[in-house]
Amino acid sequence: MTWTRRKFGCFAGVGCLAALGRVARGQAHARVVVVGGGVGGATVARYLAASAATLDVTLVEPKERYTTCFFSNFYLAGLRSFESLSHGYERLAQQYGIKVIHDTVTTIDPVVKTVALQGGGKLNYDRAVVAPGIAFEFDAIEGYDEAATHVLPHAWNAGPQTKLLRQQLENMEDGGVFAIAAPPDPFRCPPGPYERACLVAYYFKQFKPRAKIIILDAKDTFFEQDLFQDAWNRHYPGMIEWLPGQFTGGVKSVDVKARVIKTAGETFKVSVANIIPPQMAGELAQRVGLSDKSGWCPIDPITFESKLQPGIHVVGDAISSGEMPKSAFATNSQAKTCAFAILASLTGVEQTTLHLFNTCFTILAPNDAVSDAINFKPEAGSIKIKDIFVSQVGESDELRRDVARAADGWYAAFTHDVFG
Amino acid sequence: MTAVRVALFDAGSKAHSAAKHRRTAKALRRQIIVLFVATGMLLLTASRGMAEDDSRGAQLAAICASCHRLDGHDKGIPSIVGLDQKEFVDVMAAFKSGQRSSQIMHAIALSLSDGEIVALAAYLAAQPTGTKQR
Repeated sequence: MTWTRRKFGCFAGVGCLAALGRVARGQAHARVVVVGGGVGGATVARYLAASAATLDVTLVEPKERYTTCFFSNFYLAGLRSFESLSHGYERLAQQYGIKVIHDTVTTIDPVVKTVALQGGGKLNYDRAVVAPGIAFEFDAIEGYDEAATHVLPHAWNAGPQTKLLRQQLENMEDGGVFAIAAPPDPFRCPPGPYERACLVAYYFKQFKPRAKIIILDAKDTFFEQDLFQDAWNRHYPGMIEWLPGQFTGGVKSVDVKARVIKTAGETFKVSVANIIPPQMAGELAQRVGLSDKSGWCPIDPITFESKLQPGIHVVGDAISSGEMPKSAFATNSQAKTCAFAILASLTGVEQTTLHLFNTCFTILAPNDAVSDAINFKPEAGSIKIKDIFVSQVGESDELRRDVARAADGWYAAFTHDVFG
Repeated sequence: MTAVRVALFDAGSKAHSAAKHRRTAKALRRQIIVLFVATGMLLLTASRGMAEDDSRGAQLAAICASCHRLDGHDKGIPSIVGLDQKEFVDVMAAFKSGQRSSQIMHAIALSLSDGEIVALAAYLAAQPTGTKQR
């Protein structure tokens, strides 16, 4: 047994864990390199650094600021500023001593255990965490490639894409048609496309009341469908039309210049198109060999260590998550579990029983929000739903208002939990 | 600690004889060293025990931190630090049974064992409230 270096003071509760690092004084500190500064990467880095002063934690992320995809539909509706969705890494660096490097990872060598940076540097690690988010299958919809996103935004990674879509909605004529192409499962944020329809409809109702929204879905059903369809009828009657995959055959191609979307049997000429393509694990995961032929990364559901590349953990939207949805909340929950598993392997601190959760707050209209709450269990090498509770159609206005208020409070607390 | 202090005082009170002063002082020093070593080991053991409880509590509290700020801030979602332990356990039991309604807290409470709820109560009760750390 060796003495531990103590960190004084407790930041948001996790600082107290600092007493637990058991890497011997004088011995080189164990090194963890976290690649990707979204919700998954930032959470892992923060919990590792706050829990053990004896770990060297490095976070590599090309962008200086992160814009949250969650709540970006508020921005599209004009209900939230873009800046309010943007978070920097200063507190992670200053309060938690995380070394933040703004660079792009070109490759990871899982044998020598090094992370290579575009800027030329190389980082050695004992454990690496990759949180690459999602990439788009650009060949799935004919005519929709990287260049097409500058005209027909996906706005499914928040940032310039979100701003572009907002600008197009603002410029759209009253009476225009806004189309959302909703992707097949699995995809980031299952309620997202339908919440987007709600909040854009809220904006249209005030400023372009003759506008229409069509959702061209790859699927025949979607998450919380009854709640959404009830809300569309109550708040935006006649404005939103949802066309399931079985009616249209799904979106097959787009003509970027003409703003024309073709399904198997129909052609839609629209004013603004939000094409959300099919998705897969972020590009780095593909390059490093963390993903399998499904396009997603298989992981151990207790440690989140890759089943393909030992010593590298993967969290967030990029993983094969079983029944766990791809959401910021789920990612944050996985990231903590992963951080405690890494702590256990590097410092000997025992990992507590696995607890994985998800909650999504979904905004149907201001003061009308719903949520779901799910807990999970690992089963047969995957993640399964244990208990699930979802809002019901017909709930009181008061309850819905309370959920909307909780959603606001949640955003503030959650982004603090992630970025410090 | 109390036991150690009493032992030292007893040893000290025996040192009033001038004749036996040198010998007693030497014995006392030895006794003090032994006591210090023993105390150190006791404290080390205690702190290790506490650290393990803290670790468990902190890992469990990480669950709460996805929605509740653990530094006493309260922006629409109530603060849960510095609460009475019994009250916390009772409230969680009410969430678990569904007697108190909140689908989110119901899912959380169902996932936690009774032992984990007690550990969490102790950990959260010990956290400072109203600090302005951000």
